[in-house]
Amino acid sequence: MKIMWTYIVAGLTIFGLMLLVGIGLRASQAGWIPIDTGTFYSLLSLHGVGMITAMAIAGLGLLWYLVDREIHLDERVAMLAFAFFAIGVVVVIVSVVFGHYGALWTMLYPLPFVGTTWPSWATGAWLLGVAAVMLGFMLICAQILGAILRSSGGLGSALGLDYVFGRKAFEAAGKHPPSPQMLAATVVSIDGLIGGASGLLVGIAMIAHWLDPHVVIDPLWAKNLTYQFGHTFANLTMYMAVAGIYVALPICTKRAYHSSIPLVVAWWGTLVFVIIAYFHHLYMDFVQWPAVQYIGEISSYLAAVPVVVVTVFGGLMLIHRSGMKWTLGSMFFFAGMVGWIVGGSAAILDATIPFNVDLHNTLWVPAHFHTYLLEGVFLFILGWVFVSLEQRAEAASNALVRWIVGLGIFGGGALFLISFYVAGAAGVPRRYAVEPAPGPFWAGIATVGTLLILVGVLAALVEGIRLARMRAVGAAV
Amino acid sequence: MGDGLLVLKIFLVVAAIAIAAMLFVALYGAKKPLPQSVVNDAGYRIRKLWLGLVLVVAAIAFALTVPFFPYPWARASVGARHVRVTAAQYAFVMPSVLPVDVPLVFDVTSQDVNHGFGIYAPDGTLFAQVQAMPDYINHLPIEFHVKGHYVVRCLEFCGIGHAYMHGGFDVR
Repeated sequence: MKIMWTYIVAGLTIFGLMLLVGIGLRASQAGWIPIDTGTFYSLLSLHGVGMITAMAIAGLGLLWYLVDREIHLDERVAMLAFAFFAIGVVVVIVSVVFGHYGALWTMLYPLPFVGTTWPSWATGAWLLGVAAVMLGFMLICAQILGAILRSSGGLGSALGLDYVFGRKAFEAAGKHPPSPQMLAATVVSIDGLIGGASGLLVGIAMIAHWLDPHVVIDPLWAKNLTYQFGHTFANLTMYMAVAGIYVALPICTKRAYHSSIPLVVAWWGTLVFVIIAYFHHLYMDFVQWPAVQYIGEISSYLAAVPVVVVTVFGGLMLIHRSGMKWTLGSMFFFAGMVGWIVGGSAAILDATIPFNVDLHNTLWVPAHFHTYLLEGVFLFILGWVFVSLEQRAEAASNALVRWIVGLGIFGGGALFLISFYVAGAAGVPRRYAVEPAPGPFWAGIATVGTLLILVGVLAALVEGIRLARMRAVGAAV
Repeated sequence: MGDGLLVLKIFLVVAAIAIAAMLFVALYGAKKPLPQSVVNDAGYRIRKLWLGLVLVVAAIAFALTVPFFPYPWARASVGARHVRVTAAQYAFVMPSVLPVDVPLVFDVTSQDVNHGFGIYAPDGTLFAQVQAMPDYINHLPIEFHVKGHYVVRCLEFCGIGHAYMHGGFDVR
């Protein structure tokens, strides 16, 4: 429990700070506040890596706790990983605040080394800081995967192969398939190690180049690894948080969520498609091997199948006619599933190659990932926090609080996101400190949306503190 | 190409249907709870049909989109005229005038970092794009049928001057 709350509180704190940075960035693009170009890209670098790290830290805290409930995990390893995260975050902040680094977090080689306006040490600090975060992430993944493999007797059992391919004998032997949350943990930890390895590989190559410019890197190789790492890392934040659905929604609905063959097979699909869907980031690199362009579109489509057919469908089956009370916790989980589906729909359209020509690197891209991070991952984390607090306090929030939080986070979120989508569809490029029309108009609308989100988040924070301070009378989830 | 608003309309329709369907499932009969076994019996039957529908839609979508892939092997005309484009922080070096109704292939590369070669039509819509990479040449086949001034913007973050990296050409 201590580890979970340490991670979640740290993640949500970083989220709050990065939300303020994000509001400033959109207000600057709207022309409402002056931010010079160099500072804009420094803040954008911080916002990007900060938000994804925040979601990863919070999601890992949740996942670690769920695994620890079934298999004992050593807290010292989790704290060591937390130290890596902390060091990484501090070094990245130093790189940005004192070094004015501004080449973003998924920088494409040879970018961080050419045409820079910041000192070389800032580039090195950034690379080392992100590497420290990645080491922390991989350490947790290795701990979780190692514990699961030891307890289940091997990868096949951990992934439920014996259950799917010999169910009668499996059940006759009195065995049970891995729980949904353990399947999620297995898949996240395997894909996390693969994505982390890609990130470390390209990161080490870049650090080598930083130390000795004679070391040259193939730009296409670097681009593939950068996106394999970036896409996988970002995507996995969702699957970490999704594990919470399997445990919290049954509490909200007073129903059970059991493993089944479709669920197990769905997670096999997720295991594969999460690590190969990244090819859709390179659709506009026509020199890529042609086959992977096809694989990119197919795997992007198939990655959605486990989501819409199993996890979200199963979540809705739990809620349907269950008599579930609409507390903040259950509301966040339901809204998170909606955000996941809506953001996923936008992602699939972007992953459709003929449409990608119109959307690639426009504001449509941040539109879709903000949808599933802000209205998906973040809501699942909040949902987990509030279900835990509501359980412990045996209390719920009143209707006024739910309306304020809902209008702020969902209403403001809708305003914020639709501005991104419309501007993206109009071809406004992403990552422009100064956007061409109609970008600034929509940035203004988005800024209003972000301020409403801030109101909703602050209301949720106050309500969360109120619930946390209520006398604990029951068991937490 | 230039279909951004079409995609937006598709998205809004899909999102509205998804939100409405999810709200319906969550709220319909909420005050008349049923045992989980009853919901599961119906839910698992619907899920089989839903799985089939999702897979069929995905297969049809893939089949329909393949003919529209923008890649040279899919679209380049034999004997097309080649146009060299070189990107560098923060400008594009390329001809200022190009012919209308003539098959062209842009040979796009970069002198320094990754850039994006995004062509905006005279009506302001994003018409075509390809990455400009150091050490590689990307071939982008295009035939312009509308005369006018086309703006080129960088569509890959390339440094502090990224937002100011643009150029253009006339099609006559």
